[in-house]
Amino acid sequence: MSKNDDIALSVRNLKTFFYTNNRCNKAVNGVSFDVKKGKTLCIVGESGCGKSVTASTIMQLLPTLSRIEEGEIIFNKDNKKINIEKLEKNGKEMRAIRGSDIAMIFQDPMTALNPVYTVGFQISENLKYHTNLNKKQIREKCISLLSDMGIPLPEKRVDEYPHSYSGGMRQRAMIAMAMACNPKILIADEPTTALDVTIQAQIFELMDKLKKENETAIILITHDMGVVAELADNVAVMYMGNIVEAGTADDVLRRPTHPYTKALLESVPVLGRGKDQEINPIKGSTPDPYNRPIGCQFAPRCNWQTESCDVIPEIQQINETHQIRCHKHEQFFEKYHEKRNT
Amino acid sequence: MLLIISFLVYLGLELAPGDAVSHMISPELASTITAEQLNAMREAYGLNQSFITRYWLWLTSMIQGDMGYSMAGGVAISEIMVKTIPATLELSIVALIFSTIIGCTLGIISALKRGSGTDNSLTVAGMAGVSIPEFFFGLVAILLFAIELKWLPVGGRLLPHYETVWDRIPNIVLPSLVLAIMMTAGAMRYARSSMLDVLAKEFITTARSKGMPEWRINIFHGFRVALTPVVVLIGFRLPLLIGGSTIIEQVYQWPGIGSMFIRSVRASDYPLVMTISLMYVFVVLTASLIIDVLTALIDPRVRLGKE
Amino acid sequence: MARSSLDKKFDQIREKEESKTISSKKRSRIISKFVNNKLAVFGLIVFTIILLATILAPLLSPYDPMRVDLRSMRLPPSFAHWFGTDNTGRDVFTRVLFGGRVSIFIGLGSAILSALVGIVVGCYAGYRGGWTDVIALRISEIFMSFPQIILVLLLVSITGQSLFNLMAIFILTGWGGMYRLARARMLSLREEEYVQALRSFGLSTFTICYKHMLPNALSPIMVNITLSTAMFILTEAGLSFLGLGVPLNIPTWGNILNVAQDILVLQNYWWMWGPVGIVISVFVLCVNFIGDGLRDSTDPSQQG
Repeated sequence: MSKNDDIALSVRNLKTFFYTNNRCNKAVNGVSFDVKKGKTLCIVGESGCGKSVTASTIMQLLPTLSRIEEGEIIFNKDNKKINIEKLEKNGKEMRAIRGSDIAMIFQDPMTALNPVYTVGFQISENLKYHTNLNKKQIREKCISLLSDMGIPLPEKRVDEYPHSYSGGMRQRAMIAMAMACNPKILIADEPTTALDVTIQAQIFELMDKLKKENETAIILITHDMGVVAELADNVAVMYMGNIVEAGTADDVLRRPTHPYTKALLESVPVLGRGKDQEINPIKGSTPDPYNRPIGCQFAPRCNWQTESCDVIPEIQQINETHQIRCHKHEQFFEKYHEKRNT
Repeated sequence: MLLIISFLVYLGLELAPGDAVSHMISPELASTITAEQLNAMREAYGLNQSFITRYWLWLTSMIQGDMGYSMAGGVAISEIMVKTIPATLELSIVALIFSTIIGCTLGIISALKRGSGTDNSLTVAGMAGVSIPEFFFGLVAILLFAIELKWLPVGGRLLPHYETVWDRIPNIVLPSLVLAIMMTAGAMRYARSSMLDVLAKEFITTARSKGMPEWRINIFHGFRVALTPVVVLIGFRLPLLIGGSTIIEQVYQWPGIGSMFIRSVRASDYPLVMTISLMYVFVVLTASLIIDVLTALIDPRVRLGKE
Repeated sequence: MARSSLDKKFDQIREKEESKTISSKKRSRIISKFVNNKLAVFGLIVFTIILLATILAPLLSPYDPMRVDLRSMRLPPSFAHWFGTDNTGRDVFTRVLFGGRVSIFIGLGSAILSALVGIVVGCYAGYRGGWTDVIALRISEIFMSFPQIILVLLLVSITGQSLFNLMAIFILTGWGGMYRLARARMLSLREEEYVQALRSFGLSTFTICYKHMLPNALSPIMVNITLSTAMFILTEAGLSFLGLGVPLNIPTWGNILNVAQDILVLQNYWWMWGPVGIVISVFVLCVNFIGDGLRDSTDPSQQG
């Protein structure tokens, strides 16, 4: 009972296909995960693995030449379950959810903010469409939001344009805009990739604070394992449209079982280990999405590939929280952890 | 810039046959004047002075409104200007307003329905609009609407019995419409491509993620940002509008400065030709100044200078 | 959710993909995009037809475009005279064909020559910078401050009318556009690394400029030439219509239209001016189609 109450969003076997250039690209090919209230789920993977597409799908922000093929996205709103995939893309219901229940922030705040409108105006748009506040109240709320996000002199800043903000401030403004209606779920698509590392830390601090104060569920999309280590409560590792490993941060980072996860962790240089540390890049490169390998997508690059990998592995549970898609995981689990322990 | 051009124009005037004095006196006087008197005039007007001094005199008198006389009729050029410029302005402004509004609207519709039948037919229509010579279009329009159908007058601007503004409207319909065709096609194409550019930008997705209705996104976020390049591009085409009005005025016997210009070219009336050219340049430069101001008003990025 | 037509299209594509019936073509992207652009292909075909017709004019028509035949004045179209005859008995169709030669020559020739001037100046000035650049820029600005027709008329009034004069004037007024294009390209390419490398090899300015950087700017140049051709043909037509372009004794498309200034002709003898106008429009339209097609297929930012 309590477990179900915890879940803000539930994705089941989601498939999103792209139809550009008259080809069919199976960008997301059967993805399932749960997002718990007040917890951060990190979706990790290389570029092109489908993590941003998953985020766009949840918000129904897909481009015209694509669609949700199969699957369910179940949003838990005040104990009512809404199937997002069944809603009309830009219909009234979906639009009511977007912005007020589920909000999203994007990678590059410079291009994600409209340059001809003031920041205050853009934040107030969100409030105008989802609340019944009057003009004065909206303006006050904007100012308080900006100050909550740590922007100095908010009364002045609210009337300025995005280009007079610094990079970090812009991202804070975006977060302010997203949080304006106190959404239950915040989706952050690589929010700090365009920012300096020092600003990165500040932004994550901010997000952590929001999570704790407002019980917001956060879906954080990133390709940076360091970020995952910092912020994640739960992790899902994606590769070529599938989640290959998922579980709590502890599970995935301390006991990585899928060859891809292991390879990712091993390929990151660690600060302090010195210049002679071993860096093991993953052999091969990501396949052409139109020319995918049959069966397990990672097989061509996997060091332990066998014939059985010609069939896509099913999701298997290692323990209560830890899932994996790999035929050989049992062997690895023991072998790998034997090696580490000795 | 204007100074340089006025210098060149004056150079042209100097090189042209005829003397400054003969341009300055009305022909009535010229028939009775003697050689000594002419020379005396030349002295008085400082024509024996250096080129630069004369240029300076010409320039200053030009600014004060004295533009010399036309060779052909002996009428003061400034008088000619006053008589004809309003007519051309009428035509150009009506055509500009019409073409901008219709062109932008069609362009937006085209962009929103990209790839559809509407979009394709509008695009082709637009290309036809820039390919058909405007005077040919004007001729066909005269034939069809004025002669065959007799809906609209054949040409001209005012008739003696016209009293109110409304009387004059039928006359302005055809020429301004024909003039507008070319500009509309251009505006439509720019609006379409600018909209398509903007609609692909990230902040459109952001706006959508806030849950706003599509129409609001398209107009407030889409078109508002697309407007800037459209305004600039239309500004670039303004010289074409001014030039195009010249030919249309001729076809429709519209008594504007364009047909006056053509008449003066045919008659080799150099003072008039030069002066009108200078005026055209002035208009073009002023127009681009206005466009710059307009852009700064619309787009806050421009206001703060380069970012 | 309703299955829209878009959905059906998607289903088709998905089926094809899953049954692996989609072949991956290795054809040059540029050419295949052009060929897929139906308008551009149509434009190219009709353009070639008209061009060939004008070139082969003597073979296609038995009449002499200049010969006056007072016995057959103002005849409507018939089998003997496809476009009828004009005020002095000349066969209109023949005049259109021969006129086409001149008009196309002026249009295409001016476009290519002005492009040449613009490129040469633009490349050199853009690459070198400094005084050459500033002077060239100022000069082109001066030309651009005039509406083109006004400038042309102005120069015509000074130099008088002739075919050669007209082309010279066109080139003079037209080089600015291409100059700016070439210059902009040069400015952006100049800072690229391979130019530095070339310079360090000791290659002369000339070689670097023309042999290495120019090919990168080729596609917008081609597009610009086609669009300039369209513009020059229209301008020539307008001028000759007014009687201020090519002298009336040489037939051009615009000249033929000159007779339409007379309202009587306009109303009663449509064949003298109508077909010519249509031919001009169609030809320019085709040139525009080709130009647009070139632009779409060579523009890397356009998606499939």
